Amino acid sequence: MNETRPEQSRPDGLKQDATTQARAGQELVIEHLAAGYGKVQVLWDVSVRVGPGEFVAMIGANGAGKTTTLRAVSGVVKPTGGRIQLGGRDITRAAPSEVVALGLGHVPEGRELFAMMTVRENLELGAAMRPEARAAQQDTLEQVYRLFPRLQERSKQMAGTLSGGEQQMVAVGRALMGLPSILVVDEPSLGLSPLMTQTVFEALKVVNAEGVSVLLVEQNVGLSLRLAHRAYVLENGQVVKEGTGEALLADPGVRAAYLAL
Amino acid sequence: MSAVSARPVPARRPTFAWRALLALGIFFVLALAFPFLPLGDRREFLLQIGFFTLVAGIMALSWDLLARSGQVSLAHAAFYGLGAYGYALLLKAGVPWGAAMPLAALTAGFVSLLLGGVTMRLSGMYFAIATLAFTEVVRTVIQNLPESVAGGANGLLVPALLGGNSRGQYLLALALLLLTVGVSLAVRLSKLHHAFAAIRQGEETARVLGVNVVRYKLAAFFLSSVLAALAGVLYAGKTFFISPLDTFSLANSISPLTTSIFGGLYTTLGPILGATVLRVAEELLHNTVKNGYLVVYGLVLMLSILWLPRGIVGLWRRGRQGGDL
Repeated sequence: MNETRPEQSRPDGLKQDATTQARAGQELVIEHLAAGYGKVQVLWDVSVRVGPGEFVAMIGANGAGKTTTLRAVSGVVKPTGGRIQLGGRDITRAAPSEVVALGLGHVPEGRELFAMMTVRENLELGAAMRPEARAAQQDTLEQVYRLFPRLQERSKQMAGTLSGGEQQMVAVGRALMGLPSILVVDEPSLGLSPLMTQTVFEALKVVNAEGVSVLLVEQNVGLSLRLAHRAYVLENGQVVKEGTGEALLADPGVRAAYLAL
Repeated sequence: MSAVSARPVPARRPTFAWRALLALGIFFVLALAFPFLPLGDRREFLLQIGFFTLVAGIMALSWDLLARSGQVSLAHAAFYGLGAYGYALLLKAGVPWGAAMPLAALTAGFVSLLLGGVTMRLSGMYFAIATLAFTEVVRTVIQNLPESVAGGANGLLVPALLGGNSRGQYLLALALLLLTVGVSLAVRLSKLHHAFAAIRQGEETARVLGVNVVRYKLAAFFLSSVLAALAGVLYAGKTFFISPLDTFSLANSISPLTTSIFGGLYTTLGPILGATVLRVAEELLHNTVKNGYLVVYGLVLMLSILWLPRGIVGLWRRGRQGGDL
């Protein structure tokens, strides 16, 4: 587990081939975000920055506002204050379809697969809404199968019959099919065995190493902090701490609250 | 979890898609040959059954198009009726029939956008009830227009299509069914298919996958209602008399639904096979069992839905809802 940390030298030393070029990471900047559901305000002041090609984690307890932050980025929840920028463009009020068109891939909490469709059809859905992703569908599919060989074996199986870990692979694969330049991943370890969690996190690391920016929300704090370049700690809808994964792992407060050490 | 199954990938066998296309091809060849067969002295009767089978096929397949986007509608009678009345009123206003037909269909299409906009946030039963109410509203409006305009409860006379030429009418219906099949296949092969499937199975998820839910739901409504209205035009031109109660009857909303379920939901072939089998069965029963035919018909329908939950095409299709050809 000690060696799961990716190189800190990127994105400068990033190797680029034809496939990663299309996915060159975009910067996501969230400034003083406020949002909620009806009269219930969930986010009060969230500022998070994910640099191009960076792997950033957001940690915090249940109800801290992690998922809501991601949903605001995706355009599903409309912010009541603050600003969100993707690749320099303002997406604070953008519709989800516009955000996806700009290159954001969302792996939703609980995976949300289409249970009665095959693995392959689920993956194809991820490419359907972006013309450039549709054109590259076959290549991307092969890449996803290389990343998760298990999915190739299961390609004709109904997604609902897969194990939780395999379903999470499909959910990540589906987002990758849209050729995102930034991937937001919500609680991928939910309900997974430690081994499966490890597999999925390894895959995220590979994706990130190819240049895709990653914003990860997790309750598995130890693993996330070891994996991420930088991390933010959310409490009651506010960012209370930020720093490199290393620094937060060493932080006494974080250790006491989230690592029970 | 470490034991990776070494099951080999099964060899490629003819897929459902190809067999479905083949079956569609055979259907159209047979349907095209039908009016040229020596049908004897029951020719008019047989052509009429054939005609209404094709109309039922258009209704069922166009209903299925809308259902693919997760919108289980009971408004098909409304679009059928709008097509029939639109056509009749345009003819009355002196528009030639060739122009009246598409105009009536487009009118129904635009009205459907209003309904689709209102029902956008409803789902399941609430959506179905809203569409049912919509049908009643349209019927009531038409019925209460001044009698000099739309005939009121007494209905309207409509000039016969193609001067009453049975074979011509049949072939026109066949052409419009072919159009419907073309639209259905085009939807299947375009991104509409993915968008509809995603919306049907989970609107929230569809949204984060980048599906513009509003746009695609309305597109489904528009396509579906335009085609249903064309079926209504055929009906009006064939029976040359339309009345609000007959045209907007609940049966016209329910039967596309049962036909599609019976034939196989979310497919192109299913609704067409369903329409053919059910219409022919209905006529046979009508002639053999006479008065009690609807009881037997209902029983057949119930049993087949029990035993064939995925419809006729489910017989040679794997258990799935992804939507095949």
